[in-house]
Amino acid sequence: MTESTTHGSRTPSDDYGHLVPLFEEYASLAEDDPRRAEVREELVTGHLPLAEHIAQRFSGRGVAKEDLVQVARVGLINAVDRYDPSRGSDFLSFAVPTVMGEVRRHFRDTGWVIRVPRRLKELHLSINNASTQLSQRLGRAPTPSEIATHLGLSPEEVYEGLEAGNAYHSMSLDEVLSGDTENLALGDTLGEEDAALEGVENHETLQPLVKDLPERERRILALRFVHNMTQTQIAERIGISQMHVSRLLARTLDTLREGLVEGAKDD
Amino acid sequence: MTETDPPSHDVGAQDDIELRLGANLVHLPIIRSVAASIAIRADLDLDAIADLRLAVDEACSTLITRAVADSTMVCRFTISDQELRFTGTVSSDGDDVPSTASFGWRVLTTLADSADSWVEPSRVNGHGNWVHIELTKRKPTLT
Repeated sequence: MTESTTHGSRTPSDDYGHLVPLFEEYASLAEDDPRRAEVREELVTGHLPLAEHIAQRFSGRGVAKEDLVQVARVGLINAVDRYDPSRGSDFLSFAVPTVMGEVRRHFRDTGWVIRVPRRLKELHLSINNASTQLSQRLGRAPTPSEIATHLGLSPEEVYEGLEAGNAYHSMSLDEVLSGDTENLALGDTLGEEDAALEGVENHETLQPLVKDLPERERRILALRFVHNMTQTQIAERIGISQMHVSRLLARTLDTLREGLVEGAKDD
Repeated sequence: MTETDPPSHDVGAQDDIELRLGANLVHLPIIRSVAASIAIRADLDLDAIADLRLAVDEACSTLITRAVADSTMVCRFTISDQELRFTGTVSSDGDDVPSTASFGWRVLTTLADSADSWVEPSRVNGHGNWVHIELTKRKPTLT
């Protein structure tokens, strides 16, 4: 074992060197050998720091660190399963690209292919703040030119900031800031809102889909399509930004649409 | 003026913007972005921009699911002083308009100031009909 490795100039392989013989054992075990599961677990657990390191490298790009670690761990498990020591390369040189590939795919799937430049993120954030302030003052959502005047920016800059928000599908800071659904007033019951969708076709398919939505999404859906509130009004009611409402609503409609299509196929 | 030959060859007024793309759901993000960009530049308020984006998304996915495989969808954005109008058209084998009782239509009519859909026979050889959806979003009267 290598518990005495110093933290100074160690190379990655020093950290995991003690695991190398396990791979040979793993490869030699028959598919149905009960020892296989044990060895596999030991290999995965032993390499967990590798997944952490890779996740760390990709953090700070708008995807929660815990999510990245999860994704990296999945990549690690895949790497352990697919690694073949008889091919001659060592595990790390096989695992690192495998795990990184998994993390990259996650970024691609969640829309963060491109790293949003800090300037645009800040711009997006200040637009978001300005929009909240102006909404309160005006009693309605502001226009891009009103935001530009308010911030002393050119309209072009504001356009760019707004488009950045759309294009990068940013789970921007308010996702983090507003946290969970705890600050929701659970006053309005959702029963009557379901009833308001009664007249709608495919009601039987729709209802369970709506029920499956997270609390907050269901509420936003009801406020927009049953109570006919604007996104700005909803934002104020729920305590998140209008842009955040917009994103949640888009996602919700997507989910419902997919569900309805699936439902139609089953008929 | 009513359009009779929808995948139009004229791009109306100079300020109209027309997109032609495969009637395929993979293109939705592009249409959404274009819709948002146009609405931003037309200086609609942020609620209206977000609504239009969702409405165009809904309209296009409704159309795409009715479109003949491998056909083209035409999206046109017309901006006037009062409103932003979106028209989407696909060719379809069916001749029924999207149901106004559907959840999707409910979404559309809530998000847009007006929504309309109609079908007309296609003159182009081959497929049956053009299905259109038209939406408008009014520019805000600023107070």
